Amino acid sequence: MHETGIIQEMFDLLQEEYPTRFQEIVKVQLEAGLLSNIQPILIQNAFEAYVLDHQRFQGVELEVKVLPILAFCDACKLSFEVIFHRFVCSCGKPSDKVVQGEELRITQIIFKSKEHE
Amino acid sequence: MNNTTTPKSNQMPVGSVQCENTSLNLLKANDFVAKAIRERLKDICVINICSSPGSGKTTLMQETGKLLGKKLHIAVLVGDPETERDAVRMREVGINALQIVTGGMCHIEAQMILQALDHINLENVDLLFIENVGNLVCPAAFDLGEDFRVTLLASTEGDDKPKKYPRMFLTSELMLVSKADLLPYVPFSVEAVSTDAREVNPNLEVISVSSLKGEGMETWCSWLMDKVEAKKAQKNRT
Repeated sequence: MHETGIIQEMFDLLQEEYPTRFQEIVKVQLEAGLLSNIQPILIQNAFEAYVLDHQRFQGVELEVKVLPILAFCDACKLSFEVIFHRFVCSCGKPSDKVVQGEELRITQIIFKSKEHE
Repeated sequence: MNNTTTPKSNQMPVGSVQCENTSLNLLKANDFVAKAIRERLKDICVINICSSPGSGKTTLMQETGKLLGKKLHIAVLVGDPETERDAVRMREVGINALQIVTGGMCHIEAQMILQALDHINLENVDLLFIENVGNLVCPAAFDLGEDFRVTLLASTEGDDKPKKYPRMFLTSELMLVSKADLLPYVPFSVEAVSTDAREVNPNLEVISVSSLKGEGMETWCSWLMDKVEAKKAQKNRT
């Protein structure tokens, strides 16, 4: 999709949320649902390119966790995995209640520990 | 870091680290702006029109303007990577239109809409169309503060699009099969495309329209009238 823009936003967000600590970040974990249209390889490439251009983030690494799509079936009262974008439960009932798959978020940040530097 | 041969993703952070679990949404800036647009356009029904390039969005806007222009005040914000041509086409038929030139970008973001609102006269406007950039991928991810998302699928494009571009059809309320006058000449099944699309989004409504020949336009216009009235009723309740 537009992975470079997302990486830009990710770094902006990190600096906004951790104005005093963002220099100590060594690893960022993203969760991307299959519906977020994010390609893990493209986002890794965009990330590497960004880091090359921004010396202060050298050494930071990115991990992207891809989340499958889950929808909730009202009849079975259970979530089911949506495969090939077929939003139909194994019981045959369609569902539009997406419970997972649209996420695009930072879920974990690892900082260099200051005390042990 | 001179360890350039190992891909970064395979390296472990060395030494003592602090791990912080969090949940920071990316694209949240867009959603924040989209919310501001909704707050601002409380009495205008906003429809985000999406499709591939060339499926007939602008022609549909022109014809809709001609049909509903006497009943409703309509305005259009139209996005394209370059040129003002679409806005000019709409002004030719008397529609209040403003072009958003995205400068090469493949989609419209909420921020562009918010800025555009200052440059278009929305006094007495009942219905605001946002004609998105022709693209079935990226626009799906950007909430523009719309009330409804309508996706056009031209009969000439092939009926396999809902499965190929699921997120767009998942996030739409209505699918318009456009260029319906060509249906007898192309291998396109409205029934098959509706079945496929409803596997992605069971609540998706489907209307076939031909902007040029008029088929289905009445159904489409009454769909719009319903939504405009519902929006006004909602505002009066609050």
